[in-house]
Amino acid sequence: MQERVKLSDAQINRDLLRSIFETPKWYLILVGTLGLIVLCGFAAAGFMINQGLGVTGLNRPVMWGFFITNFVFWIGISHAGVMLSAILRLVQAEWRRPATRAAEVLTVFSLMTAMMMPLIHAGRPWRVFYWVFPYDWARGVYPNVRSALVWDPAAVFTYLTSSILFVYIALVPDIAVARDRSTGWRHVLYSVLALGWRGSVRQWKLQIIAGILLSAIILPIFVSVHSIVSWDFGMAMSVEGWHSTVFAPYFVIGAVHSGVSAVVTVMLILRWMFKWEDYIRLEHIEALAKLLIVVATAWFYFFLLEFFFGLYSLEGPEIALREMQVFQEPWKWLFIVFLFTGYIIPVSMWMFRSVRRSIGLMIFTTVLVNIGMWLERFIIIVPGLARKQSFSFTWGGYTPSPVEIVIIGATFAMVSMLVLLFAKVFPLIPIGDAKEGMVLADEITIGKVKVPAVMREE
Amino acid sequence: MHEAHHTSQPSYLSMTPQEITEDVLRRHEGSGRPFWVIAGVLAVLFTLGIVGLVNLLSGGFEDKNAWGYHAAVFAYIFIVAQSALMVSISLRMVKAHWRRPLARVSEMFAAVGLFNFFLLIPLLWVLPVTTGRRSLWFDFPGNSPHIWDTIAMGLLVVCGLAILYFAALPDLATVRDHSTGGRQNRYRRLALGWQGSPRQWKVLQTGLAVLGGFYFMFLIFTHMMISVDFAMSLIPGWKDAIFPAAHAIMGFQSAVAVTLVTMFVLRWRCGMKGYLEIDQFWGLSKLLLALCLLWFYFWWSSFFTYWYGRTPAEQSVLKLLMTETYRIPFFLSFGLSFVVPFALLMWNVVRKTIWGPTLAATIVLVGTFINIIRYYVAAYSIKDSTLHALEIAPPINTPGFNDILVVVGGLAGAVLTYMLATRVFPVISMWEMREGLLLQRVRTFMKINIRVMAKPE
Repeated sequence: MQERVKLSDAQINRDLLRSIFETPKWYLILVGTLGLIVLCGFAAAGFMINQGLGVTGLNRPVMWGFFITNFVFWIGISHAGVMLSAILRLVQAEWRRPATRAAEVLTVFSLMTAMMMPLIHAGRPWRVFYWVFPYDWARGVYPNVRSALVWDPAAVFTYLTSSILFVYIALVPDIAVARDRSTGWRHVLYSVLALGWRGSVRQWKLQIIAGILLSAIILPIFVSVHSIVSWDFGMAMSVEGWHSTVFAPYFVIGAVHSGVSAVVTVMLILRWMFKWEDYIRLEHIEALAKLLIVVATAWFYFFLLEFFFGLYSLEGPEIALREMQVFQEPWKWLFIVFLFTGYIIPVSMWMFRSVRRSIGLMIFTTVLVNIGMWLERFIIIVPGLARKQSFSFTWGGYTPSPVEIVIIGATFAMVSMLVLLFAKVFPLIPIGDAKEGMVLADEITIGKVKVPAVMREE
Repeated sequence: MHEAHHTSQPSYLSMTPQEITEDVLRRHEGSGRPFWVIAGVLAVLFTLGIVGLVNLLSGGFEDKNAWGYHAAVFAYIFIVAQSALMVSISLRMVKAHWRRPLARVSEMFAAVGLFNFFLLIPLLWVLPVTTGRRSLWFDFPGNSPHIWDTIAMGLLVVCGLAILYFAALPDLATVRDHSTGGRQNRYRRLALGWQGSPRQWKVLQTGLAVLGGFYFMFLIFTHMMISVDFAMSLIPGWKDAIFPAAHAIMGFQSAVAVTLVTMFVLRWRCGMKGYLEIDQFWGLSKLLLALCLLWFYFWWSSFFTYWYGRTPAEQSVLKLLMTETYRIPFFLSFGLSFVVPFALLMWNVVRKTIWGPTLAATIVLVGTFINIIRYYVAAYSIKDSTLHALEIAPPINTPGFNDILVVVGGLAGAVLTYMLATRVFPVISMWEMREGLLLQRVRTFMKINIRVMAKPE
């Protein structure tokens, strides 16, 4: 790696634990503001539950709107954790080190947020429990075990459980570092969570094996989660544009696209907030940007396949739906914004090294990606439903109500707030990984030039 | 190439750049009798294939069914050989050092792509016009696939050959500098005045990166055209958005497999044990494992959506390709492309051997072949491609004597082309090996020796 700075273990401990042991004023203001927005979201959800779903813009035939769009979006964001942490760990990418924890944490919090959305969407969340317990499919009015909508919670909860385990296993050595430097209630908390970690050779060996095994095990779960989310749509025969064989990989790669972009945004903001310039270096951001070019282009390929094979069938309703998405108001504007923000602008900009190494432009482009990817889900869900029925007099539209907008806004505030709260208790850059990176770093002299080198992990 | 050397060969890691150059050049110069015996047998088989092709041509282009196996062998070579370059291209892009000994092994398949281009030509006459049926081309002029598929395939072949040639330029210059007489003259022309100046190296590195990117895009694009024009669009009611991507994944899986098998043959018969070591087999076996899983995922996404959808059109496609007509090829290909290789490669003790990945790769190549027959022969057996859905499935097209000639001849021609290409280009990329040695050191860390790799930009 080119720009690394030689740091001592003590310096790494000090820098990366600063966010835990020091509380700047801006932190309290920021968390407080985000907390207020979250409270507004809960108030709006409470109002909706009290008044009924009539206060939303949902109406026949568009019964899935902002909430389900947001559910798919947050599930998508959660895919960054495994992509960056598990896959890059398995392929031993050196530049993964500062990004893994943020990605894993984002996975956990975005999954929690995602799981709230169907509950809110249900209108009367407590009824969900009636549907599930006792599980009775004999009378036909209960959820169908053969339905993708029922597989969904199973997959998401499995992913959430394994992601929490994944974060925790990687955290144990860092918690021990925090334990040894804290007092009072923090010391008690860290002592319990550190599980007696002493850093013995055997403990490190077990920790590394556990990390590799969990990485391998979590990969199929990661793929299954968004595949099943995609089948919520793909298995619905009655909605034009949804029953496509490409939906599963299309959703998975789209999730990775938005998820990795979100991780870059979060990393850069944290870098600025906590002054982690020596840890989250420009070379890391550049490597992530290159990865994003590949991921975004793969996603774009699947998007083209999905769109093109909608037309390929030469079926009237399907072609009419595509026309509506691309040429009719207001969908055409959303479609243009989606296409430009989701792919064309960011990828064109990432082609330039100066952009890949610019903090401001990388934040800008990765935020653009997520605007585009949110719209992508909206454009998949709503236009198809609007013309779900065969008779045109039953077609409908959808305009989100302020209640929905407030709730959706609050989910963004909630994830940001949870990440900041996490950073107050646990280090957001893996201390052990940062130290390992220092140990493995080396230099080779070739001719008159000193080239950065790295010891090969076996 | 030389015959097998029975003495143990030192690893390239313990050799000097000079020793590597001398050793590779020595092996490249002489080919030995067994090489020409095998080439002769392949030439005979290829000639038999030409006889089969002449028989097909004499029957005309009206009977699509007769051309099914020719289409299958064309698609198989396309999938296997023309995807094989991606092994080198992708590993070069991610700067995997262990790729160096196998880079040329995979790039050499570009020559097979040129051979395959000739197999495409008669198929253009068999392909029905696109008017009145679903196709990639909607209302474009009737001969769109005939024109654009040829252009796409041609660009892919040219790009592949360019990668092979440019990546070999420094080695061609090395051969030039170490030979005399006519051989030196030939290689002087081939080396295009390569002197190894900093500017030439820069152009080469940039050129290879750009060509690699183009090849990848062309390949994905051509996979889409070939898979849809020559298979999916010929079966009424088969609308499968994931099929072009699944076709490409099948290609990547077979690419890794064919590279592994070729590496094994080079080790076994051509004395390359010191170059193609466990690192290369282990690295590729991990890729093969991942691609086997991806193969399953793409197949499952397609099958599951169809199985769940259960529309009459979907059911008829499933019956034709999976559950009734081509049931046996389907189960065979499923087992050989996914179940068996996955069961083998999931074990590190198997992956970290020479025989394990080779066995799995051989099985994958057989599985892909059966899979391709299932898709392409079935597609060519449909008489009327203009229907909205398949109403009556045609019977299975079992190969006749002429089909066997065409298949065996096609495969023999592909292998022969590869063998002849090794006479022009050294099968081990000398300059990449030398560069690799330059960028690595062995250092003692604590009490063990560990390899340190430089990471220049």
